[in-house]
Amino acid sequence: MTESSSAPGVRVRDLTVVYKTPAGELPALAGVSLTLAPGTITGLVGESGSGKSTLAFSLLNAVQPPGRRSAGSVEIDGIGDVSQLAGDDLRRVRGRQVGYVFQAAQNSLNPLKTIGKQLLDLGRSHEVADLPALVRDARALLGRMGLDGGRVLDSYQHELSGGMRQRVGIMLALVLNAHLVVLDEPTTALDMITQATILRIVQEVHRERGLTTLIVTHDMGVAAEVTDSIAVMYGGRVVEHGPTTAVLGSPRHPYTQGLIRAIPRLSGDIAEARALPGRPPTLGTMPAQGCVFRERCPERREICDSVDPAPVAVGDRRVACHAVEPAPASARVRKECA
Amino acid sequence: MIIATGITKSYRQRGNLLGGRDVRALRGVDFAIGKGGAVTFIGESGCGKTTLGRIAAGLETYDSGEIVIDGVRMSSLRHRQRQAHFRRIQLIHQDPYSALNPTRTIQQTLDAPLALRARQTGRSKAWADNRAAELLTLVGIDPGYVLPRYPHQLSGGMRQRVVIARALTVDPEVLVADESVSMIDVSLRLGILALLKDLRERLGVSVLFITHDIATARYLGDDGELYVIYRGQVVERGATETVISAPVHPYTQSLLSAIPVLRGVERPGPERVEPTEALDESHADTGCLFARRCPFRTERCESELPLLGRDGDTTQEHACFHPRRRSVIPVEVTA
Amino acid sequence: MTATQTATVLPAPASTPRRNFWRGVVRVLRRKPSRMAGVVILVLFAFLGVFGPMLYPSPLPRDDNALYAPPSLAHPFGTDFEGTDVLALVVTGTRYVLLAGLATAVITVALGTAIGLLAGFHRGRWDTVLMRLTDLQLTIPGLPLLLVLSTVWKFTSPLEMGVVLGVLGWGGIARAVRSQTLSLRERGFIEAARGLGLSTRHIVGRELLPSMAPYIAMNMLIAVTGAIYAQVGLFFLGVLPFDANNWGVMLNLAVFGGGALTSAAALPYLLAPLLAILLLTLGIVLVVDAMDEIFNPRLREE
Repeated sequence: MTESSSAPGVRVRDLTVVYKTPAGELPALAGVSLTLAPGTITGLVGESGSGKSTLAFSLLNAVQPPGRRSAGSVEIDGIGDVSQLAGDDLRRVRGRQVGYVFQAAQNSLNPLKTIGKQLLDLGRSHEVADLPALVRDARALLGRMGLDGGRVLDSYQHELSGGMRQRVGIMLALVLNAHLVVLDEPTTALDMITQATILRIVQEVHRERGLTTLIVTHDMGVAAEVTDSIAVMYGGRVVEHGPTTAVLGSPRHPYTQGLIRAIPRLSGDIAEARALPGRPPTLGTMPAQGCVFRERCPERREICDSVDPAPVAVGDRRVACHAVEPAPASARVRKECA
Repeated sequence: MIIATGITKSYRQRGNLLGGRDVRALRGVDFAIGKGGAVTFIGESGCGKTTLGRIAAGLETYDSGEIVIDGVRMSSLRHRQRQAHFRRIQLIHQDPYSALNPTRTIQQTLDAPLALRARQTGRSKAWADNRAAELLTLVGIDPGYVLPRYPHQLSGGMRQRVVIARALTVDPEVLVADESVSMIDVSLRLGILALLKDLRERLGVSVLFITHDIATARYLGDDGELYVIYRGQVVERGATETVISAPVHPYTQSLLSAIPVLRGVERPGPERVEPTEALDESHADTGCLFARRCPFRTERCESELPLLGRDGDTTQEHACFHPRRRSVIPVEVTA
Repeated sequence: MTATQTATVLPAPASTPRRNFWRGVVRVLRRKPSRMAGVVILVLFAFLGVFGPMLYPSPLPRDDNALYAPPSLAHPFGTDFEGTDVLALVVTGTRYVLLAGLATAVITVALGTAIGLLAGFHRGRWDTVLMRLTDLQLTIPGLPLLLVLSTVWKFTSPLEMGVVLGVLGWGGIARAVRSQTLSLRERGFIEAARGLGLSTRHIVGRELLPSMAPYIAMNMLIAVTGAIYAQVGLFFLGVLPFDANNWGVMLNLAVFGGGALTSAAALPYLLAPLLAILLLTLGIVLVVDAMDEIFNPRLREE
């Protein structure tokens, strides 16, 4: 148990996932590499069709047909390459080591069973010997998240509000002591105040239990509020990944810049908000070669039409853009001064 | 010009065999929308903002109160005449996927109301055909591309533009936009909001914007009015910019405090307010509706209902016994 | 109706993605061989229904020397108790079965859809009255009523048969269409149509009905199978008048007259109408599979 009691690191390397369509196999993820440092909260931000959900599912090796991993690996500390697991081994990893909180937790609960029954089902399918202890843990977790554990376990899903269901989802993901947690759109369809509460809880539970957390979201604000680092996805690629404040404060990739400028904010000059031109590509409209963002890019140049930019390190960040100089920006400035 | 006064609406919630209990969705709401204006309703889901929007668009009935459209009192009209007035107020649905008939092309979708319009105004069929293309161009999409297509062949952003174009076929005075961008990709949302803003300026259409995202209200109409609605009651109302930058009601402050801070660009407001409890509709109706969740409540709040009004030093109206300005919104970090 | 005229009068743009409806239907049917097989079967039966009686002399020739003859080249399914070719009986009997089945289906679907739409769209008092009526229809015990009716009515015309079966069978569809209507009328596009002031006729005919088309078409085809079973059953029970080339009567005669269940001699006589019924049902089931794709533009055009 020692190796699973600490936060695991995750290394996704050159992961390619293709979807079978009438037009042939199209890549939803095109050679994605992403490292989650142990003990951090990472935000995976992208629009629909960016591949963020596919990447999240890959952490559980749960990409469903017609999708298929065609290349690359997903290494998780204490487990190994998840993409090589199958059958019972894989089932044990899901839940025991990797917890997954589904998008719109409201639909992932069984409406015909009480939460407690579903908890026991979960325990039994993972051969938990001490079920009373499991229930105790669950109650403690729910209590930690500000709910009356006993009452919630006796409830059916329709008796719980959206925010309560989301907390139940988090409890079910953590109760088997998983230390890697994936939250898929944790606050979509929740109200602002409830969203703030859930985000605070995610942050607190993350810290107290020593987790590695991945938050998949389309909402830059959600990621901005709680994460340590942000990975921005576009067209099946991670186009920028770096510390949250740095990515938000001085975005380097033109897409990240455009996305942040497109968020109406409460502070500053609202007239500075600008819509991003064009629209995100879908599997079918993704260009076969060159940069996937070039159609919407203000910094487009010739090379973008033919060469897909590879992610390069820029300071403490990785950016995939021809317009960004690979050398660490701060170092260059210093040289010029000297 | 639309003026609504004292709108109330109750739903009967189904309970056990012995009957349910009445849920008061709206408790006497007044609002007014002028020509080319921007009015925003804000609040949590279930606060009644959507019901209010549907009532304004004539899609739902109300229990009491009066709506006056261009000087005509709706209560004095028969159903059919009333519908004709309410046609001047068009609802833009939240979900552009269910708002368009999947079995009809965009051409067919736009033709039906335009043909009706042509008949009513004695115009020709050619006018209707041209008008369809004109409206699509107005909302920023290529008619040649969109007209022959079915809704499933269009992206979410394009569909929402088609929905707006369809609403414009009847030359409305007011567009009611109920969470109209929440189901659209983030990078495209601002484009739709910009379109609504543009329609305000170019056509003089007023926009009644219903949302839980206050920042979008700021973008759409910083010259407009903001209504903060809580459990069917307007708790704060004033100029959008004023209510956002200097809110006085603790509920408005909680809403504003809950907006995520873009760390790196902003830092959190110094006096953020967090409600002491989660929303519970079954809370007693005596006293201030927000009292149970309010960190600043006093005994008076629990027994007496504060009414919407103005006092000395605030420019906005509020329904609170202890109004106080707090700076809760994020502050921009200047590099 | 100006709306539809404008749509058809307008010249289609050069590269129109909205293709011809019938070409879409052909494409959908071609997607699976099973659907084509279904179409072939149905076309065959339709052909037999129209031209079948013309293929044989009337009355059908008898051969007194070959009663219950075993299958042979001349008689692929043998002969019946009078020495008439069984295949000829089945072929000439197709018209009655098909006509009665179609009439039933048309009446069931028309009545059921109209009543369901009316009840679901107007709700309120209309709904209450129409749904009580539907309940009433559903509680009518069909078979006993038919037995009683058949003592006074001889059902010589397949259309009469169809009318009676149809009037007894629309309740289920009315219920289903009503619930579909109730859910569809809450959809944004119906609400928008009302908000734009479009007429009820437009909303029901142009917005609601097309959205329910796959559902209605499916029910229609399934109603045909149901009607075929029902009438064959009635004839089999012998409550209806004797008619040598009716499938149900053939079954009856094979079992009770020829002893097909105990002796092998009348077995082909029993199997021929049975096979015909099975084949027809199979054809319908195979085609039903395509209905959803035919009426849904997204699935049709892809």
